[in-house]
Amino acid sequence: MALRAAVVVLCMAMFALAADPLGTDLNGHPIEQIAPPGAKAVVLFFAASDCPISNRYIPEIERLDREFAPQGVHFWWVYPNPGDTAAVVRRHYEQFDIHADAVLDTEQRLTHMAHATITPEVAVFLSTAEGLREVYRGRIDDRYVALGRERPVATQHDLETAIRAVLANRTVPKPGGPPVGCSIVPRNAP
Amino acid sequence: MRFLRCLSLVLVCCVFLSRLNPSRAMRAAEAPVTWSGQIASIVYQNCATCHHPGGSGPFSLLTYRDAYRRGPQMVQATQSRYMPPWLPAQGYGDFSGARRLSDEQLRLIRNWVESGMPEGDVSRAPAPPHYDATWQLGKPDLILTIERPYTLAASGTDVFRNFVLPYPLALAHYIRAMEIRPSVPQVVHHANVLIDRTASFRHRHPGDWEDGVPGMELEVDAGNSFDPDSHFLFWKPDTPVLEEPEGMPWRLDVGNDLILNMHLKPSGKPETIGAQIGLYFTPEPASKHPMLLQLEDDRDLDIPAGERHFVVQDELKLPVDVDVFGIYPHAHYLGRELEGWAVLPNGQKQWLIRILNWDIDRQSVYRYRDPVFLPRGTVVHMHYVYDNSENNVHNPNTPPIRVRAGNRSVDEMAHLWIQVLPINVPKGGPDPRLLLEQAWMEHRVDRNRGDFISLYNLAAALAGLGRYTEATADYRKVLAAHPDDERALNSLGAALENAGDWQEAEEAFRRAIAAGRETCDAQFNLAGLKLKRSKFGEAEQQFRAMLRQCPEDAETDSGLGVALDGEGDSKSAEAEFQRALELDPGDFTALYHLGEMAIESGPPQRAIDLLEKATAQRPDDADSRERLALAFAESGRPGDALTQLGEAVQLKPGDANLHALLSQVLAGAGQLQRAIDEQNQALHLQPNDADGWNNLGVLEARAGKTAAARADFRHALQLAPDHVQARANLARLPPP
Repeated sequence: MALRAAVVVLCMAMFALAADPLGTDLNGHPIEQIAPPGAKAVVLFFAASDCPISNRYIPEIERLDREFAPQGVHFWWVYPNPGDTAAVVRRHYEQFDIHADAVLDTEQRLTHMAHATITPEVAVFLSTAEGLREVYRGRIDDRYVALGRERPVATQHDLETAIRAVLANRTVPKPGGPPVGCSIVPRNAP
Repeated sequence: MRFLRCLSLVLVCCVFLSRLNPSRAMRAAEAPVTWSGQIASIVYQNCATCHHPGGSGPFSLLTYRDAYRRGPQMVQATQSRYMPPWLPAQGYGDFSGARRLSDEQLRLIRNWVESGMPEGDVSRAPAPPHYDATWQLGKPDLILTIERPYTLAASGTDVFRNFVLPYPLALAHYIRAMEIRPSVPQVVHHANVLIDRTASFRHRHPGDWEDGVPGMELEVDAGNSFDPDSHFLFWKPDTPVLEEPEGMPWRLDVGNDLILNMHLKPSGKPETIGAQIGLYFTPEPASKHPMLLQLEDDRDLDIPAGERHFVVQDELKLPVDVDVFGIYPHAHYLGRELEGWAVLPNGQKQWLIRILNWDIDRQSVYRYRDPVFLPRGTVVHMHYVYDNSENNVHNPNTPPIRVRAGNRSVDEMAHLWIQVLPINVPKGGPDPRLLLEQAWMEHRVDRNRGDFISLYNLAAALAGLGRYTEATADYRKVLAAHPDDERALNSLGAALENAGDWQEAEEAFRRAIAAGRETCDAQFNLAGLKLKRSKFGEAEQQFRAMLRQCPEDAETDSGLGVALDGEGDSKSAEAEFQRALELDPGDFTALYHLGEMAIESGPPQRAIDLLEKATAQRPDDADSRERLALAFAESGRPGDALTQLGEAVQLKPGDANLHALLSQVLAGAGQLQRAIDEQNQALHLQPNDADGWNNLGVLEARAGKTAAARADFRHALQLAPDHVQARANLARLPPP
């Protein structure tokens, strides 16, 4: 009971902060809104410049971005770790030749909003008149079963399936397994 | 959207509160585990060799901050024993460099992360290890570099690629150590270096070898002489430099290629893959000759789709005592349990290795802390289990399909290599590696009558053991199936020649020449046969014909030189030997014959220079040592002459003439008793040598042993009643 009460108090407090930006772009400009007008769905790709598994998924996320952007799916590359500053991410973008929209999740608001804990991990939000509704969160595909247990190629493309379901107004299946990668670092890390 | 934010906060609160779970907090209080106190030393000893800036690990773990960043993954990776990478089960082989963490270390890492990863007293933290980017053993004697770097795609399946690095030097060298430095070590899972003695891989890929050739495994042509693979030249991310045991360097000859086989893992961005191989020479040739033996069962690899427990096995009985230095189990993605063991002649089972969760990504060569002794008669076993079901996450085929042996990652393999050093080798007996080769190839042929490569290798081993009749029979079996196989015809010719059947040998060489496109070997052998039979004119013609076909071959020029010398044209012969040395400064025949010519007519120092180079090329050649001894003797260096003759006698203990020559030089150096001993040894080997008995008599007489001398001269006269010197010497002895 005591726990429940505490949560309510904190939630009330968040209401007051609602006007804060969700994060900043690579030039330090605040990002207030992640669903562009007309977007059917928003995908947040939680990435880390220093996470090898996250990096290995870059080509796959770019593939999905290319395929689904024309259908109204907007992809954001969200960098939640305190070490991934604008300068670090800019270098990461250069190294990996990334051209997608980046969000520095400096306050980890998007992380909390999506309940993400790992990089790489994705969240899919359905854009509705009432706001955004999370319909999928978890792994991108089944290539990594656990650290050190890896398929030669993915056999289930969970994120792609989720996006297709959203676009077809079907129920989105849950991920077939947990995300595998690097923990998202708390904001107060040393 | 606001509502959703509130929901997320509920979760955050729960996570926050769970961290204050009292039981966990209590446990942490009982045993405060901190970075400075316990964790840093575990990480430095077991993780940092790869996980340091610029290292092969994907991130560094040198600082508290680094470790804090990776804490939860450190728990996952270590508890599942994914890290540090170490596949062998404990207690099934005592390996050097074992990386397995103890249960206590695992518990400490877990407790540290659960208690919030405290740093502890920084002043108590161990100093982090220092790594630099230079060659581990200093600048190598030779650095080979991949000419054309390869671009690894950003994504996709793993890539297996073979890069050819030709050995560029004009002299052979023994290699005591090697360091492989991939340009992007983070994407290289492991690498193997193969020695291609005949540059066969390059010749098979004339158009693309410079760009690298795809393939997980490769076969190279070992050439015509028995020169088995001897060393595991294997690299994995925590292998800084490969140093060979004392007396066991490996050899690179002129014209050899090194082939670097790399297993590459896409990183998410295109990577430019280059590599350097640093080689460290030793002037000391190998004094110990290990050999790699392979157990395998590729032929039985035919795994039905969905099969969860498919077993293949092999066994090999050892014909000689060996020490096992290392072991290399190998399968692809379906392998699950890989076991190797030995059953000793007394029935005792000795484990060599056991891997219960095979993972090709973490494969390795394993080297024993102390060599494992396996006596003659031991049977080595390989027992592998494959899982071709959907449950095997490594399965490259979805849904599973029937899988057989092959070179692609979707195929399978069942190999167990062991590095053995024959020991307790009887003096004067055959090369024990030939006995191992014979046993190995007989076993392979028994398993598969259609394996003509093994049958050919068996015949070659038998020929090497001097069993020419059996070798000839096996070569003929190979030829029954492959009548135009140039190499088998050529080897048959050589075996027949050694068996003394030179007519049949000549016929075989001629058939080889007719059958082959690259006929230089058989032509060379035919010319050599003519030389041995002193048909110098025919040999000259044969060599000249060869020169038109193989103009850049030093051995052809030096062979022609020998033929011309035999015909009495020493001037032309010398020119050919010189030409041979221009093509290959290490051509033994040219060095030897020019050295011999210099003994006769040149300054002794020139003879010494040439013959020293010749003996460096073939340290085991007694004749060149004998000639070198002569050159030393002529230039007034009896001590050096004695050393060379001593070596020659060691190499050919059954050569009576060498003992007799050594006796003469010893006598000249005033070592009379040793001279008598050597002459006795010569006569023991060649008892009907009247000159030898006369010489022994002279030595005995000089030593004041008149009675013995008299008996020796009489012995000489018994063998040769007309021996003038023996008669004169006998007459000169004081009366009894």
